[in-house]
Formats: sequence, C-alpha cells, structure tokens
Amino acid sequence: MTQHVDVTDVTAETETDGSTVPTQDPQPEDRTSPSPTFAAAVVAGFAALAVGVSVLGGDLLNPAASTTDGDYAGETVEMMIPLAEGGGTDTWARFVATELTQEVPGSPGLAPVNDDGGEGILGTNHFMTSARADGTEVLVSTASTVVPYLLDMPAVRYDFAELRPILANGTGAVVYARSGAGVKGPQDLVDRDRPLVFGGIAATSLDLTTLLAFDLLGADVESTFGFEGRGPVNLALQRGEVDIDYQTTSSYGPAVEPLVEDGTAVPLFSLGQVDESGEIVRDPNFPDLPTVVEVHEEIHGELPDAGRLDTYRAILALTYTYQKALWVPEDTPDEALELLRSTAQEMGADPAFQEAAAEVLGGYPIDASPDLAERIGDAYRVDDSVREDVLELLETDHDITID
Amino acid sequence: MTEAAFSALASLADPALLLMLAVGVVAGLVIGLIPGLGGTGAVAILLPVTFGMEPEAALAMLIGALAVVHTSDTVAAVLLGAPGSASASVTMLDGYSMARQGQAKRALSLAFLSSMAGGLIGAVGLTLAIPLARPLVLSFGSPELFMLTILGVSLAAVLSRGNVVKGLMAGFLGLLLGLVGTSPTTAEERFSFGSLFLSDGVSLVAVALGIFGLAEIASRVGQRKVTEKPVELTGGWGAGIREWITHWSQVVRGSLIGIWAGVLPGVGATAGTWLAYGQAVATAKDKRKFGKGDPRGIVGPESANNSVEAGDLIPTFLFGIPGGVPSAMLLGMLLTYGIQPGPAIVTEHLDLMYLIVWAFAIASVAGAFLCFLATGSLARLTRVPFAVLGPGLLVIMLLGAFQEGGQIGDLWVMVLLGVVGFFLKATGTPRAPFLIGFVLAIPMERYYYLTANLYDGASWMLRPGVLVFAAVLVVPVLWSLLKKLRGTSGQADDGHRDEHDGPEAEVDDLEGSLAGTGWSAGLAVVSVLVFAGALWVSGSFSEEASLMPRLVATCGLVAALVLVWQELTVRRARPEPADPVEEPLGTGGSTMVATRVEPAVDQHALARAQDLRIAARAFAGMAAFLVLAMVGGYLAATLVFTPAFLLYAARVRPRTAIVYTLVLGAVLLSLPTLLPVELPMGLLQ
Repeated sequence: MTQHVDVTDVTAETETDGSTVPTQDPQPEDRTSPSPTFAAAVVAGFAALAVGVSVLGGDLLNPAASTTDGDYAGETVEMMIPLAEGGGTDTWARFVATELTQEVPGSPGLAPVNDDGGEGILGTNHFMTSARADGTEVLVSTASTVVPYLLDMPAVRYDFAELRPILANGTGAVVYARSGAGVKGPQDLVDRDRPLVFGGIAATSLDLTTLLAFDLLGADVESTFGFEGRGPVNLALQRGEVDIDYQTTSSYGPAVEPLVEDGTAVPLFSLGQVDESGEIVRDPNFPDLPTVVEVHEEIHGELPDAGRLDTYRAILALTYTYQKALWVPEDTPDEALELLRSTAQEMGADPAFQEAAAEVLGGYPIDASPDLAERIGDAYRVDDSVREDVLELLETDHDITID
Repeated sequence: MTEAAFSALASLADPALLLMLAVGVVAGLVIGLIPGLGGTGAVAILLPVTFGMEPEAALAMLIGALAVVHTSDTVAAVLLGAPGSASASVTMLDGYSMARQGQAKRALSLAFLSSMAGGLIGAVGLTLAIPLARPLVLSFGSPELFMLTILGVSLAAVLSRGNVVKGLMAGFLGLLLGLVGTSPTTAEERFSFGSLFLSDGVSLVAVALGIFGLAEIASRVGQRKVTEKPVELTGGWGAGIREWITHWSQVVRGSLIGIWAGVLPGVGATAGTWLAYGQAVATAKDKRKFGKGDPRGIVGPESANNSVEAGDLIPTFLFGIPGGVPSAMLLGMLLTYGIQPGPAIVTEHLDLMYLIVWAFAIASVAGAFLCFLATGSLARLTRVPFAVLGPGLLVIMLLGAFQEGGQIGDLWVMVLLGVVGFFLKATGTPRAPFLIGFVLAIPMERYYYLTANLYDGASWMLRPGVLVFAAVLVVPVLWSLLKKLRGTSGQADDGHRDEHDGPEAEVDDLEGSLAGTGWSAGLAVVSVLVFAGALWVSGSFSEEASLMPRLVATCGLVAALVLVWQELTVRRARPEPADPVEEPLGTGGSTMVATRVEPAVDQHALARAQDLRIAARAFAGMAAFLVLAMVGGYLAATLVFTPAFLLYAARVRPRTAIVYTLVLGAVLLSLPTLLPVELPMGLLQ
C-alpha cells in the first residue's frame, strides 16, 4: 500500500463499480464526487442541527433537578469526589453516600464523580465554581483538601465557610516504630544516638498532624517524604528502610497488628481524639494506648506548652475528628439540607447500619447532629497563631515555604 | 489447601457466579476496545453495580473485567496503532507492523492466544506465589525499584526500531514531559508555568493516544482506498494455533517475567512487558525482524501483559498496595465487605483468594477465546480505508482521553503531541521510549530519592538485586561494544534496524521518510533547545526538586547534540540531488519539456511534501474540531466536523456521509446514559 498520496490519487478514486478491490494503479476516471452545492447543503444541514443540539440539548442532556421542596423522588444526587477511585476517601464516600441516598425519602439515585488532581484541590475548586445549589450536588472533603485550605495555599480557590455540611466522620491514628531500631517504648523517642527515620507522603498532607505530634514531644525524628501512600511506608518499615510510621485506624488491624504480634514493631501512642469539651482524650478504638499528651507527661514529667498544645488540638480536630465530610453549596435550599442531615443522623444512629459500616467507618460515628455546622465551622476557622505555628514548623524543620 | 482450592472451584460452578463473571468479561472486553477507557473505565462502570451483592459475586465480576483489560486494548494497538495503555505499546511495535503488511488476523490470533496462556500461567503462578510472595516483596527495596525504572526506559530506547541515539533522545524527551507537574518529594510545581492544569501533570491517555493514535491518523488519513492485499490465514484456526504453539517457550518465558514483574509493587506492568520484549530480542539469533512483524515480539509481551495483572493481585491483596486504579478499586470494594488486605487475608479468606485465582484463569481464557473468535471480523477493520475510519476514530479517541481528567486542555495536549508524534515517526525516531519515559519519570525520581535518603552512601549499589539489574543493562552494551572493537562485521544483528529495511518499508513509507532531511535535523535542533530550556528553568526549583529535571535535561542535551552531529554528517555525505534540467525537445508542434532527471528522487520529495500537506490539514482539522467543541459542545462539533471531513476530504458518497454522521451522533448521544462517559460541554450550553 502506498502511504503517500500520489497526485493522481487526489482526483481518481476506485473503479466504476464502486467496489474496494485493492489496486495499485488508480484508474484515471473521476469518481462521482458529490456536487459542491449538495455537499455544502449537507454540511449546512448538520451545522443547523448542531446549533440546535448545543443550544437546546444542554437542557435535554442535563435536566435541571429541583429539590426546593425537599422532595428527592426521581432525582439523582451527584457526588464530587476530588480524589482517585479506589482510595480510602473514595471507598468511604461511595459507601456512605449509597447508604444515605437509599435512606433519603424518595430514594434518589447516586452518581459519584471522581475529579482528582492536585491532592483534591482541583476537584474542590471545580465544585465551588460549577455546582448547582439545588440539593443534588454534594462535595466530599478530606484532610488532604482541608490542610491546604488551612495553610492558604495559592492553588486553593475554595472556602469552607461558603459550604454547609451534611455529615462528618472522623478517624484516628496510631504511631508505631520498628523494634529493630532499638525502640521499646515512647521513652526511646528522645535522647537518641541516631534519629528515627519517618516515612511520609508530603508534609502538607495528613502527615502534618503526626509531624506536629513529633514536634510536641521533642522527638528525635527525621522525615523523608515522597512515598506514594501509607501502604508503601508500612512495607518500607518491614524492610527496615524506615523506622517509625503511623497508620489510621482501619489499616492498623491488618497492617500493624501482625507486626506487633511477631515483635517486629511496637505501638507507641495514638494521636488522640478531640471530645465535645475540646479535650484530647484516648481514642475509643485504642483504649489501651496513651495519647500524645499522656506520653509527653511520661517522658518530660509535665504537660506540653499551652500554645503548642492548642495548635496540635486545632489541627487534630481538623484532620481527624472531622476528617471526612459531605458538603453542599451555601445557597442550597434549607429543606433539602435539613432532609439530608436528619436522614444521615438517623442512619448513623441505626445499629444495623453501624454494624454494616463497621469496617468502612472504623468504628467512628457519623456526626450529623444539628449543631454540626457550628462545630465544624469553629474547627475550620483556626486562629492565625495556629496557622503561623504550622508554617513555621514546615519552614524550619522541613524546608517548605508556602507563599 | 487443595481442599480450599477445589471448594472455590465448585462454588464457581454456581451459574449465578458464572454469569457475573461473564458480565465482567464482556464489559471489560467492550470497554477495553475503546482506546482510552480501558481497565479503569470497566471497573468504574461495574463498581456501583456491585453494591449490595455478595462478595463472591462482586469479586467474580470485577476480576472478570480486570483479567481481560489487556486482551482487548491490544486490538486498538494492533489495528490502529493506538495503544490504550503503556504496556499495549510493546505489542504495537510488531503487531501493528504485521497488520500493515496485511497480516492483521495473524497478529491478533497470536496476541489473543498468548493472552490466554498468560492469564492461565498467571493464575497458576498466583497460587504458587502466595507463600513466597511476602519474602519476595520484602526483599525488593527502593534501590531495586529504581534500577527497574532505569531498565525500563533503557530497554525501550535500545530495543525500538531506529538508531539508539534517537531512541535515547526520545526517552529523555518523554522523561522530561513526565516531570511536568508536581514534584513527588517536595510538592513543588515544576514546568507548569503557573497553569493549574499543568500543575497536575500531563494525562497518560492523552500522551499515548496523541503520540501514537493521532499521529497515525494524520499520516494515514490521506489513504482513500485500501491497497494492501490482506494475507489470508490459510488453513483456518488450526494453522494459527499451530504457529502459535511453535513459540511456546516464548509464551512461558513472557508469562513468568510478567508474574514476577507484577508482584513488584508499583512499576511492574510497564517495565514487565518491556522486560519480556527485551528478553525475546536478547535470546533471538535473528533479530532483524523485530519491530517489523516478528511474531516473537507479540507472543512474549502479550502473555506478560496478562500475567502481570495476576501478579499484581499479590501486592494488592497481601500488602494493600494496588498496582493501578483498577486494582485500587478492587481493594476498595473488598474493604466494604470487611475484607482487609494484609497477610491475614491468606489465612482468613483463603476460599476467596482461590475464587479470585480461578475467576482470573477462567476470565482470561474466556476473554481471549471470545476475542479469538472475533479476530476475523476485527481484522476486517483494516479493509476500511483510513480516510473513512478517520473521523470516527478521532471522535472516539478524543472522547476517551477526555474521561481521565475531564479537561479540554488534555485534548489540546493530545493534538500537540500528535504533531510531535508525527514528526518523530517521520524522522524515524522511535516513540515507544517516549511513552515509557513519560510513565516512569515520577517513579524513577521517587525511588531514586528514597534510595538516596534511606540508604547511606553508595552501599545500596552493592545489593544483589541492584547488581543483577545493572548487569542486565550494562552487559549487552559492553558485549556489542566489544564486538565493534573487534571489528566483526556490523550486520544489523544487534537488533537495530534501518528504517528502510524489509517489507515494512514498502507498506509504511511515512516511517523514516523524513530521515536525513532538513526536518530531521530540525527536530534534533529543536530538541537541543527544549533540553537547554528545561535545564535553565530547572535552576529556579529547590535543590531537591531540580535534581531529576537537571539530570534528564543534561543527558537529553547530550543525546540531542550527538544526533545533530549525526544529522550533519549524513547530510554532508549525501550527494546533492541533481537539478532538474529543462530540455526543450521541440519537433513539430509539440514541445515536451523533460523536467525529470532523477525521477525517483523527485517523486520522493513530491511524496514527502504531499504527506506533510495532508498531515498539516489533518491537524488543522483536529484543532478546528476542538475549537468547535469548546464553543458548542462535543456533539455539535461532531455533527459539523464529520460530514465536512467525509465529503471534502474523504470524498465519500453523500448518503454514506449522512448515515455515518447520524450514527456517530446517536452513539455520542446515547453513550452517557450507558456508560459513565462525560461529553465535553461547550460555552453555549
């Protein structure tokens, strides 16, 4: 087959009978090419159709949903997940939203949309600019979209003060270390010959809270970032490449417990949970593990400095107690929001749901009480001093400056 | 253990489960056929359906889809030169060439049979590997993974058709493109020039389909009739199968390499397929046909493709580290059933593990078999003149690429890379290393960084795994250097083929047609500028973030400069084409002016100019299409672009054009309701 088109090819076509018999020498006869006027007419016809389709079709293809009356029958809820499919947040979001939409009166359908990029920033940006405020568009947030917001990073074009929460769900984490590095308990975190190597993904991700914990304790830890996820860090610890790591509650069982049992690793402390009165208390899933604050007392004989403890508490609430949440745009009709919220609250209190959701939620309750908006608003509105502390830590210890 | 194995097999005999498996297989095949959607698309579609199902049924369906993904994306790679995934680009090297020579049926048969075998062997390997997996995975640390990425890119550069310098330069260009985006270690934005779109990196599908798919469309779109005589598979199925069996050792070797590569978390799939190809080339005595339709270039990599998916299940289930988005989604699904990844999964859920193994085996066989049956009809696609296929393909490919990020910018990147790909192809620069470099750039940087930080000094270089990989890389190079020094005759036996050798050259004149011309030298010069520019821009990054870009830019600069020198030498060495001489032969009334002194040379130049014109028009058309899409939406753009192209460029009958457009329009209209496919929306909507 000749690749290049000979000059003769341009005018001559296949044989008169119109069959596509392969031939090397094009016949010199002209094919009956469509007359120019007819061809133009065809194209013009389609162009008209195209204009019609694009102007009218927009509505046909995307019928606007309306739930001002709070009636979800026949609607579809579109859920924006700003992270990749298959990740922890994605799994959580799909599960919770599916259960929720089944419970909501009218049983709306669910359409999850993954729009990942920039650690969740891009998708959340998109939501802010393009989401309809009619109760059928919902956003998923997670620590990795909240921390950049807190640090006021330039790529962030969203504001949680302009969103209203439906429900929130927290989680916890445990810090553990490799016994091969000579660690037998929390007291081995300080006064070391060699610093412990911590494996992280990025300092501005969920790792931030653990870094703050290390800073609070004055632990002798050196961090290496760039791992793809907590799974690889756990693997690296088993290989001896990394000495200290943290895992969230749902991964702790399968990833860390076997190591603890065979003596490879030793759990040190849990990051703790912030209760209603603002105190840092033991994680209900790890009642036997001390919190950071308790460990501080154990090592240094006194409570941590109040200012730094405030910073830690603020970040802990942001990244763990309210780690994942579902939001709707500010102008969403009150009835719609109230319906979603109350359904979520009922669902969260239902023992059958709690049992089915045990693995995904990790044993942490769905928080959808009426004052959620207020509490979450408070948690997300951190003091400037907290922000400054964090920026300082990032700059001095990790060489990261955020303009 | 055997008891669990057989009880799992018995449970699969349940028709409900088999049905789920079949659904998964069919969905995976159909979706995998569309270049750009692939495995992620298939699992994304099926996942919501699994909510509320029993874990066994859900698993059967998802595994069914996962197992066949690499079987069906071969189709687009072989028939259209548009690989939907990086590993399909390996099969494309020989598969597409074979198809262009009229042997599409043969290429596809070989590929499907190998896929089948790869899946089966992968399933067996999966079972056997479970007890061995843990120590194996633990023994491979960051240094070994780093060496693996280097190996992947080098193999691609060295083994592709064309001269090694061009291959390396393409590899470095690909690496550079892969570095656009956010640094994995410092979260800094590199080469994004302030654009939020670029700060997230370039989309893989856009790169693969642009560099290969769009470049093919632009180069073949002028083809209005089919002039290749399709080679009939004489003897029917039997002969095809018999030919395949003669390559059984390649199949087995490919599968084994695939499983092992898949077990390694992270870079397994891409590097594994290249390793299989590399091994096939290295162990072959006559290497001249590789890249031009050697069956060994198909069977090994295709079986590796499938067994890699099997191997990938090991880090996914045992360590919770999925090798890609489809396995990540599988993992997520398991989690909702309370099944946690980890070593405990082998003891607590052994029955489920075996179910997965059997499902994988059955799905691979069934999927490949179905494709095998369809080979005849699929191969007939090559009988359609490309000018007619062109617009439909373009619309579908762009749509597929759009799914990944939902950004129209990705489509512009794709068209731009199409132009790049066209010139790479025309100047005889291999494109596969570009794609591999792009895919492996960030992992390479990440593993290098982790290695440098977690291991003291250079002690990591003495690790046995690292030494083995280094040997695989260095020894062949030393060997051929030694041979050259000893002055043994430099036959093209080292696997480097000249662009114009063999039957392939008659078939695809575009490949390498611009080699040695001003365009070729121009490409080299542009590359020099690109690398130099990158080097300069890297100066503004922080120290950590600039290490990899600087390294890549420097090496690329060296390669590009060597290429420029080569080009200049070649041009100086070539005799100048004689000027056309005009001789009026005047007798009687007619004056004939003979203007052709060198008919062959002139015709080549004429053909080249024609090719360039056609390609320019094709790309202009693509750009116009995108502008239309941005204004009026995808559907509208298609409705205008398709008939215009078919009538004016392809010159089909009006009735054909109308029907074609209406069908295409209907497909686009119905697609969002059937699949989670998003159509780009325009300003008017």
